[in-house]
Amino acid sequence: MSRRLEPVTQPITFELDGESIVAQAGEPVAAAFVAAGRSTLSRSIKYHRPRGAFCFSGGCAHCLVRIDGVPNQYACQVRAKPGMRVERQNAFPDASIDVLQATDFVFSKWFNHHEFLAGVPVVEKVMLEVARKLAGLGLLPEKPAPAREPALVEHVGVAVVGGGAAGLAAARTLAERGVAFTLFEREARCGGRLLVGADEGAPAIALPARGDVRTDATVVGLFADDGPPCLAVLRHERLHLVFYERLLLANGGQPTLLTFPNNDLPGVYASRAVSRLLRAHRILPGQRIAVVGEPDECRALAKLITSAGGDAVAVGASPVRAHGLRRVDALTVSTQGRVEKVACDAVALCAPVSPSFELARAAGARVSWNARSRLFVVEADSRGRATPSTWVAGELRGPMSAAASAEAGLVAGHALADDALAGGRP
Amino acid sequence: MSKSLLCPCEDVTASELEHAIAKGSRDLESVKRFTGFGTGMCQGKQCLTAVARFLEERVPLSPAQVMPFTPRPPLFPTELSHWASASFDPAVAPAGGVPDSLGLTEHALKPEGAVPARAKIVIIGGGIMGLALAWNLAERGENDVVVLERGYLCAGASGRNGGGVRMQWGTPSLIALARRSIDLMKRFARDLGINVWLRQGGYLFLAKSDAVVAKLERSAALHNKHGVPTQILTPDGARDVVPELTMTGVKAAAWNPLDGVIFPWPFLWGYAQAAQKRGVRVETFTRVVGFEQSQGRVQKVVTDRGDIACETVVLAAGAWSPSIASLAGVALPNEPHRHEICSSEPLKPFLGPLVSVLDSGLYFSQSMRGEIVGGMGDPKEPAGMNLGSTRRFLTRYAQALTEQLPQVGRIKILRQWSGPYDVTPDNSPILGRTPGLPNLLQMNGFVGHGFMMAPAVAERMAAWMATGESDELFERFTLSRFAEGRLEREDMIIG
Repeated sequence: MSRRLEPVTQPITFELDGESIVAQAGEPVAAAFVAAGRSTLSRSIKYHRPRGAFCFSGGCAHCLVRIDGVPNQYACQVRAKPGMRVERQNAFPDASIDVLQATDFVFSKWFNHHEFLAGVPVVEKVMLEVARKLAGLGLLPEKPAPAREPALVEHVGVAVVGGGAAGLAAARTLAERGVAFTLFEREARCGGRLLVGADEGAPAIALPARGDVRTDATVVGLFADDGPPCLAVLRHERLHLVFYERLLLANGGQPTLLTFPNNDLPGVYASRAVSRLLRAHRILPGQRIAVVGEPDECRALAKLITSAGGDAVAVGASPVRAHGLRRVDALTVSTQGRVEKVACDAVALCAPVSPSFELARAAGARVSWNARSRLFVVEADSRGRATPSTWVAGELRGPMSAAASAEAGLVAGHALADDALAGGRP
Repeated sequence: MSKSLLCPCEDVTASELEHAIAKGSRDLESVKRFTGFGTGMCQGKQCLTAVARFLEERVPLSPAQVMPFTPRPPLFPTELSHWASASFDPAVAPAGGVPDSLGLTEHALKPEGAVPARAKIVIIGGGIMGLALAWNLAERGENDVVVLERGYLCAGASGRNGGGVRMQWGTPSLIALARRSIDLMKRFARDLGINVWLRQGGYLFLAKSDAVVAKLERSAALHNKHGVPTQILTPDGARDVVPELTMTGVKAAAWNPLDGVIFPWPFLWGYAQAAQKRGVRVETFTRVVGFEQSQGRVQKVVTDRGDIACETVVLAAGAWSPSIASLAGVALPNEPHRHEICSSEPLKPFLGPLVSVLDSGLYFSQSMRGEIVGGMGDPKEPAGMNLGSTRRFLTRYAQALTEQLPQVGRIKILRQWSGPYDVTPDNSPILGRTPGLPNLLQMNGFVGHGFMMAPAVAERMAAWMATGESDELFERFTLSRFAEGRLEREDMIIG
């Protein structure tokens, strides 16, 4: 069972399908669900498979719920507020018992909607109607959007995206060198995995002595259709268009999905979701957690779980198959060729994150497949320069410890400062 | 039950990917268009690496051949109301944009080995026109056909359009073609064995100026004469069709319940698979680099994988046709014009028809998957091949859409992209023989509506090529009409 490691100090309540849920004020809605033992948050689009939060970083779509009448909100990204009305989506009659999961059993491998009943007269008409009714996630909002403030147009010299190990090190370097910058961090606090990871030997979180650091600032795009390139940033429900001269990208990556049967069951988490729940929210997502995947990361996470009073099992093994009907209750693993089934109530998948290369590519950087890590990584020179006006650092380049990311941030920060202080436009 | 999920957003399983690979998908762009992976809420953040690894394990690929699909802006789902809160300068022409990968990466995926040394017919362009023609020719017993496609299947405009199909046109020829096309789309699953999910939810055109009202009334009279039940509605009547619409500034509407929306991707590869089953060879990632001509005829098509000797060449490369024609010394009057488009998060069905404001070029519909798919022509868009995606477009579209349909303000845009309209001087296609090169046949210039016309045009073209019997299509819409001053104006163009 999942449980809170510390009592709730600022309790609030909100509503989940009519049921009252207690949360710590300000924690993500999805964290409150995990603490309350509500593992199934939604049903998947086609097979109505039960889904619960997986990545806790707004990167997957396992935790989409309707909140206060707005569909498809990431429960892991929305902070719990008193009186909030949360509804599960895409389930009939409800997410715990969804009769539409019959499709999951009928089509046990997959449903070939391209060829199923193709060309059968009458039946195909019925199928079209049924398919249309079943399609889609979430209902149209009842109301128009509230009036938005006009987008704010800004011009900065240096924009830094990401306030994790690499971004903070780069920002500190820029501050020391006297280069003004604006840093955008998606979360409420800077730190990234320094705050929520399980890395051993990670440096302490140190903010730059000066400079414009903006948290709760999500970069949603990089466009260059108005002449100079511009970041589209959402902050406090307002769009900012930030034109920059030089860009330093340190926006890391998203958890990588590992492929095995039932890898999507509620209770299967990305490793950083587990360490985040433990460190940032003081929630143990299960008592007996299978910690599988990349051995070093497994060992570090297992230590964190054990120190919180949980049991880490199958540490460092490879996942073969997850078991369970509504949530995971066992995992078949393989360790050096030995296959065994291990009882557990949560699974942590340890694997290097997949670099979030989209912004880098929009800035003109090259992205290539690294045969060793088997990830798409951003290419750059030894000092992190990826284009004449773009520098990249940290896990965008591939798997890297927090300490190595910080070092890369420092190097790229100096490289950018050298260029900026030499004057001229990039 | 015990599925391995590779794309949890769209519920794409390992078995489905095995099937895609067995059907010939070798790259992530193709797998995306075959299975739909990466098109859901996460837009590939969670699944892209997993699918790349899966593919690499099962298909012999070098690292250079493992390439991500083009990441589409925005980076995270972002509400229309936020895009609408920005501004843009309507006086300035749009430029640039987030680049597409098309044209940058295909060389790495070029197949080994040469193309066939000879074929009776070479079709240039593996879009909907070329593939529908190939299938129709094969149905008539002519399968000595090679289709050349420079990228993956669905790389061009056929894979980038909104899937709208309508009978509401301004000339009898196009009305007849569109009616026939919709009939053929209804039979597609029976004829080709693939569901294309044609949904006849109708087209609702809104008019905000007297000039556009007059145009709708004129074309509705023509539709009725040719058996299309188009009605002119008052603004209140239009709101009965879509209650969520606002009618500010709307003077009248035109409504045909038989128009509809189709899912472009399976329609395209459905033709490709069926043509291949009948012996047609479809060569992807293969570029035409020239022509060998003598005695006033094309003798060989020269590609980057060898030459193909042939009797007939069909140029069906959409907006890329003028640049290919120039390799044969033929000047086409078509020009590519970028049109941008975007897709929202999937919602439960609420919107029946495709709605278009003819004055502004705004159009939107709800796909079978529940997404609001729509775009808006930009009067300032310059001619030229540009597949970039701009923030300006998102703002223009979001402002226009939320004005017409305020309840979508908090609906999030998942991805945007663009495709080229193949624009001719009179908005009508170019079909038939090329003056001075009679065995080079034209099949292009469809100004953004080739996708919906293809089934009927290909059927007629295959009959004309196979029987030699005259057909007015290939006399009326010839390339020579421009030199002869015989223009065929079509004015029911969106955008």
